[in-house]
Amino acid sequence: MMNRATKWMTGAAALALVVSVAGCGATNNTTNNTTTGGSNNTTATTPATPVTINETGSSLLYPLFNAEWVQAYKTVDPNVNLIAASTGSGAGISQAIAGTVQIGASDAYMADGQMAASPSIVNIPLAISAQQIMYNLPGMNANSDHLKLTGDVLAQVYMGKIKYWDDAQITKLNPGVKLPHQQIIPVHRSDGSGDTFLFTQFMYDTNATWKSTVQFGTSVSWPSVSGGIGAKGNDGVVAAMAANKYSLGYVGISWLDKAVQQGIGYAQLQNQAGNFVLPTTENIQSAANALVDKVPADERISLIYAPGATSYPIINFEYAIVNTKQPADMATAMKKFLNWAIDPQNGNSSTYLAPVHFLPLPASVAPKSQAQINKIGG
Amino acid sequence: MRKVSSGSKIADRIFKVATGISASSPVLFLAAIAVIVLLQAMPSIVFMGWHFLYGINWDMGNLYGATEVKHGVTAPAGASYGALPFIVGTLASSVIALVIGVPISIFTALILAYKVRGTLRMILSILVELLAGIPSVIFGLWGIVVLAPWVGHKFAPLLTHLGAVLPMFKGPVGTGLGLLTSGIVLALMIVPIITATTRDLLEQVPILYREGGVGLGMTSWEVVRFICLPYIKEGLVGAVALGWGRAMGETMAVLMVSGSAINYLPHNIYSPISTMAAVIADQLDSAMTDATHMAVHALAELALVLMVLTLVTNLVARWLVNRGRSGRGIGAGVKV
Repeated sequence: MMNRATKWMTGAAALALVVSVAGCGATNNTTNNTTTGGSNNTTATTPATPVTINETGSSLLYPLFNAEWVQAYKTVDPNVNLIAASTGSGAGISQAIAGTVQIGASDAYMADGQMAASPSIVNIPLAISAQQIMYNLPGMNANSDHLKLTGDVLAQVYMGKIKYWDDAQITKLNPGVKLPHQQIIPVHRSDGSGDTFLFTQFMYDTNATWKSTVQFGTSVSWPSVSGGIGAKGNDGVVAAMAANKYSLGYVGISWLDKAVQQGIGYAQLQNQAGNFVLPTTENIQSAANALVDKVPADERISLIYAPGATSYPIINFEYAIVNTKQPADMATAMKKFLNWAIDPQNGNSSTYLAPVHFLPLPASVAPKSQAQINKIGG
Repeated sequence: MRKVSSGSKIADRIFKVATGISASSPVLFLAAIAVIVLLQAMPSIVFMGWHFLYGINWDMGNLYGATEVKHGVTAPAGASYGALPFIVGTLASSVIALVIGVPISIFTALILAYKVRGTLRMILSILVELLAGIPSVIFGLWGIVVLAPWVGHKFAPLLTHLGAVLPMFKGPVGTGLGLLTSGIVLALMIVPIITATTRDLLEQVPILYREGGVGLGMTSWEVVRFICLPYIKEGLVGAVALGWGRAMGETMAVLMVSGSAINYLPHNIYSPISTMAAVIADQLDSAMTDATHMAVHALAELALVLMVLTLVTNLVARWLVNRGRSGRGIGAGVKV
């Protein structure tokens, strides 16, 4: 009995060994076959070896990457396999630095400290996104009534200084609008988020106390406000706002339609020129155009609170975080893909951007992105 | 003496090595995780000292600004980590879960062990165990969509009437996302584990004792109260502690319904909170963009605190369960 068991054990161990060795051999063979096969079939302009480009990061950019670009690019370059993942902007940045992915997607540009630590990394804007300030006020039509708000008032709400909807500072901005004497429920993102980055930058630019205390970032140390809550993800914020009357929050533009359907309205925000503007395509474009001259060569710039009469104050670049040190084949494939992505005839066309409410890069910014793309592999 | 072939000898050696590696892996993994978490937490321990455990403000500092050096470690200017609200949130939500979940579990276990038989018992047992198999994100989704609005608009306003007696029930009730809702969701998640353990314990109560109680004219409740529960007391404490450990470590469901409070302690039972596990999941992404890595170290220290708390509860639980088991064999006859 014992003997039979030990023999069986030996057999199993030997089998496992054989399988694992065979496994290694098989992998090698497949790779070799594909390589030789590939070079026979492809033309001279595309790299001979199939290249896999991994993307991870921003959940805001993910629908554009995964549902639009990955599908479309299959026909552009069948030799390139794009894999997109939604893991958050911070993960996008850190994994691009670590080299586990080739493209890290981020709503926020990298900080100076991080740039100094990783000098071969570039921040390449791919498109423009925006954010709206939303509220659940019964009696106001979510589609047609738009409360007027300023960054200063928002900062005071999120610091607990303005507590009620009928506060003098809010009624002064909205003459003729009947506001309820109800406590405001400020909702913020609990998870690290590019949306928090934009929203806190807006308050940083418009309120001195906010600027000196809370500052800005993808996660900030929110002042404690009685009744205020945190929620995870844009979906969590929209769910929390839909369930709670008199709530106030910030939501990425790709969620605008879903939120309005649930009766959540969005505000006209005061821009630097003092006008109250909505996040329309025109207003977002005006804001981008107002700042294009200021965009530096490394393209790390806040587009918040842009000058100009019709500029919408909360817009940003969506970034590809890329390590320029890449093997030759990979560099060629990445350059080709990124150039395709920012091309207004291709990846930056409204066919792909409109479904997620993104806007193309302004014509004068695109060359700066191209210059950065060309650094890859160089 | 049997002659051992060389093939058998080799097989035996492989067997020894394979079992040795497999058997030591859980210990090695535990040790490796503990060491890594401790090493990762070290800079934060040096940076914050004991303040980490009683401080209230949690601030990564300005990741886009300058850095400063304190106690020999570098961190972004303004960074300060005080985890007390998260420690309190973890303990408070898990204790509420126990207050709600333990009676439900004990009564369910009593029904399963004594009152139902055959197919019905099997079906009920399977249903309770299925509850344990529901992914926590589904509890969270149900919590945010159904439970939180109900608590915020219906249940909590009702509970405020208790405020006159117990101050922690006083309003304002807020949004429904907070301590109470987290406690209810956690209660549902720990009921299966406590129920199953308690049911097994109750089945170990000798039938003779229970029959003796009935023979003396005791009611069902009296049998349970004076014979069964005292008999399984130690084991029951252990079962509760197991559930407690589970509640403290739960991440996703709590993250979705806790209201994610930061920088303040809960002021009543409806107040938004955060737990240690939820904060780690929430903030890791931003923490990874801290060029000084201090934010990641602080989250590692939070993980260390959580791990120590959970390990202690688990060890106490095991100790109590074992004590209950061995105590029964020797002292049971004397006790009754």
